[in-house]
Amino acid sequence: MLLQLPTVLMFVFILILALGFFHQKQLPGFVRFLLVALLGATVMTSYNFGIGRDAASAALLAMLALKPFETHSQRDAKSLLGFSLFAPFAAFLQDQGPITLGLSVIGVLMCFASFAALVQNLLQISWRSLFKSAARAGLIAMPLAMSGFWLFPRLPSPIWGLPENALGGKGLGDRMEPVEWLDKLTDDSIALRVKFLDKTPNRNQMYWRGPVLTRFDGSAWIRDIGAMVRTPPSLGIQGNLVSYEVMMEPSSRRDLLVLDLPIQVPNNAKINAEFTAVTQAPINELQRYVATSTLQPIFPEKLDALDRMIALQLPRDRNPRTREMALQWANETPDPILLANRFLSWIQKDFKYTLIAPLLGRNSADDFLFSTKRGYCQHFSSSFAVFMRSAGVPTRVVTGFVGGDYNKVGSYWMLYGKDAHAWDEIWVEGRGWVRVDPTAAVAPENILDTVDDLNGSKNFAESFFSSTLQTSDWLRRSWNELVLGYNAARQKDLMRPLGLNMDDAKQLIFVFIIGAGTALGITLLLLLRQRKEDLHEVERAWRIFIKQMRKKRYEKFSHEPASQFAKRVAELYQGKTPESAERTKQLCARYTQWRYENRQFDSGEIKQLVSDLRQFRLT
Amino acid sequence: MTSEHRDIVERFGDRAARWAFIRPKKPERLPIFLNRGRIYVLPTSFGLFIAGVITVLLLGALNYNNNPAIFLAFIIAAAAHNSLVHAHLLLSGLSIKTLHAEPVHAGQIMQLRMRFDAKGARDRQGLELVCDTSEEKFDLLAREQIEITIAIPTVRRGWMLTGRMRLSTVRPLGLARAWSWLRPDTQLLVYPALEAQAPALPEAQGEGSQTRKHSQGEHLHQLREYRHGDAKKQIAWKASARGENLLVREYETQTAKEVQLDWFSLSPLPYEARVSRLARWVVIAEQSACRYSLRLPQEFIASGSGLEQRHACLRALALLPHV
Repeated sequence: MLLQLPTVLMFVFILILALGFFHQKQLPGFVRFLLVALLGATVMTSYNFGIGRDAASAALLAMLALKPFETHSQRDAKSLLGFSLFAPFAAFLQDQGPITLGLSVIGVLMCFASFAALVQNLLQISWRSLFKSAARAGLIAMPLAMSGFWLFPRLPSPIWGLPENALGGKGLGDRMEPVEWLDKLTDDSIALRVKFLDKTPNRNQMYWRGPVLTRFDGSAWIRDIGAMVRTPPSLGIQGNLVSYEVMMEPSSRRDLLVLDLPIQVPNNAKINAEFTAVTQAPINELQRYVATSTLQPIFPEKLDALDRMIALQLPRDRNPRTREMALQWANETPDPILLANRFLSWIQKDFKYTLIAPLLGRNSADDFLFSTKRGYCQHFSSSFAVFMRSAGVPTRVVTGFVGGDYNKVGSYWMLYGKDAHAWDEIWVEGRGWVRVDPTAAVAPENILDTVDDLNGSKNFAESFFSSTLQTSDWLRRSWNELVLGYNAARQKDLMRPLGLNMDDAKQLIFVFIIGAGTALGITLLLLLRQRKEDLHEVERAWRIFIKQMRKKRYEKFSHEPASQFAKRVAELYQGKTPESAERTKQLCARYTQWRYENRQFDSGEIKQLVSDLRQFRLT
Repeated sequence: MTSEHRDIVERFGDRAARWAFIRPKKPERLPIFLNRGRIYVLPTSFGLFIAGVITVLLLGALNYNNNPAIFLAFIIAAAAHNSLVHAHLLLSGLSIKTLHAEPVHAGQIMQLRMRFDAKGARDRQGLELVCDTSEEKFDLLAREQIEITIAIPTVRRGWMLTGRMRLSTVRPLGLARAWSWLRPDTQLLVYPALEAQAPALPEAQGEGSQTRKHSQGEHLHQLREYRHGDAKKQIAWKASARGENLLVREYETQTAKEVQLDWFSLSPLPYEARVSRLARWVVIAEQSACRYSLRLPQEFIASGSGLEQRHACLRALALLPHV
């Protein structure tokens, strides 16, 4: 968790911890107050005085770092340890990767070691034995923890809400405004991973559809609330369908990303009137879903009157130059496809792609098209939509993801936050909605910078290790699938083959009890596993010999020396088989010699004695 | 261990010891074996605190379905739960073999010696024996026995039981305490308290009237065979050289005094005062190498001296009925 802090804070905390460790005396009150105030201020400034999850986590760490200063009794130590258990959980709010979990497990084991240290005599503590016992406690806890993890009834939906900014803003918003999008376009964390189940479409067809923005207020594109609840027009299908499995990182939005255009979506989602797959609840945890799309949809003949109206709406008082030119161009080329192509060739000729785009004024489309002529996807798509609407062609902006990198190790596509994109759809009578991506029209030589440039170009090492990176992403994906994706629904799936219905509370508790009971059994076995005696082989053979004698009803008393025992047995046996009696005596004598006399036995003698003891049978 | 060091759960356990169903229900004969029927386990107050922490963590983790957090919470929970079982196992199979104590005078501290033993090959560390206000910590390693000494206060002369002793452990993690009550029926003798300022011994009678054999003295009485425990310098080396066995010189001395300690001669004193004065006189008489006899209402201890005589007299005094 320390690693997730801003660097400054990290160093400050480490410094303070070290100070606390070496400074054993109690600090005067005002110094402590000053420290707390200073640290509090540092934390607050590092988070720009915002109070949220990150700031709270940092504050928790700050307090944990300060606590050793006033830890003087066992009681203090205990409360410090107890509260420090919260630290790994704060870490999990931000990252749930295997490394974080590994570090946290180590942290918890260290807590166990400290627990153990607290109940021992501080003068006799051996660190090795402490960590051994902590590791042992952790190991023995595993079966029970596993059963709890897999079988403990999971909540189908949260009881209370998520803390604000709990999840990364990988989702595409309901709005599109110039500046907002930059954050998304420079985010190089994974947003979704896609595996095509049978056929992989061409790369230029991989448009992942998210929210559709239809209302334009002059500066921002926003969603049409009405379309969210209306059912989609029925689609005709031609050509092959594409099925794929998506693993989508939490977005805290309700839109699933699906390939343009979706036919089938998972049960928890619905396709709305704009062909966006919308879920019932925000996606706050990793989502795994299978969906089917068509690349060649057949739309109904007519555009719904309401949809047409919305798709033509424009604020009257903005972008006069664009409107004027649109009307002029529409007169010259009435066909919407040709009109769009004419616009695209203009873009190709005159426009440049850059993330460092100048700010636009009140007439954003006018400014972009006639003065700045440089920008990124949202400038292009927005201006294109304004232009087409002015020309009387129903147009809407679609946001989503495009492209992605192919992971050869796991054979799936990785889409990053920076792959977020915005494009347009125009309605063409007789063809339906046609996708137009004005950004893609920018001539390659006019692409001034890309996201990768902005983040610092890929250096040699990075390209060299790209296969390693792919492997690590593949590992991460497997981790996601196995561990992070586990939830109430998967728990249900897990139980179904056993004929158990997890909706039934009784069965659920039953399963948990059985699982926990089994785990407890294993735990007891581990706990009861006794220390193997470290015996010499002669000693072991001797025990076998004694056992053999006992079977024949010649019990050797524990207080009886071997020689006396031999004498007793020999006397009892003398009458029957003298050679057996003699042999017993001889064996006991040799054992006594080995055990109690100072003479060194060589390895041959020892071997002989062992085998003789083991093979001895009274006849 | 004073009561403020005990945590809430421990105090509860100690108070609950008096409840009728807590075992052992009455004093028992040695050796005592600790089995699961008499081992009690509860979380320590630190354990309760950690349980609270775990509950909060688990609720939060389940709410957000944060799988690593759930997993970690369950690890901590399982470790805490296991420490209950582990603590139980540390006690289970233990046995108390013997219990001894040298008699002391009432009001003095008695050193109780107990021998512990355990079945199985497990190390049992961090055991803690608490008896009244004193405690003793020890480790019992596998296949070993241990004798520990614990000091307990004495109050009254006569036979004493140790009362409830608690054998407990908070290992391995200090989250749970397992304990078992020990109530051995072994009776320990407590001599009467000694009177602080007792008058001198009563007048001796029959001074020098008897002789006795003694290993040291002026007049050689006889030689006898060596017995185990005789001092080296008593050995008559020359005489021994002549025969097969070692011979020891015995001398004849006159005893200095012969004291009669009589219960009835102290009649003006109250009952217990008489007991403690007689006890003090016994001790003084023994110290000044007198021969002494003791007359009690029901009993007469003939004249003698030495540790056995002293013990016999003090024992008789200790066991006088209380009034």
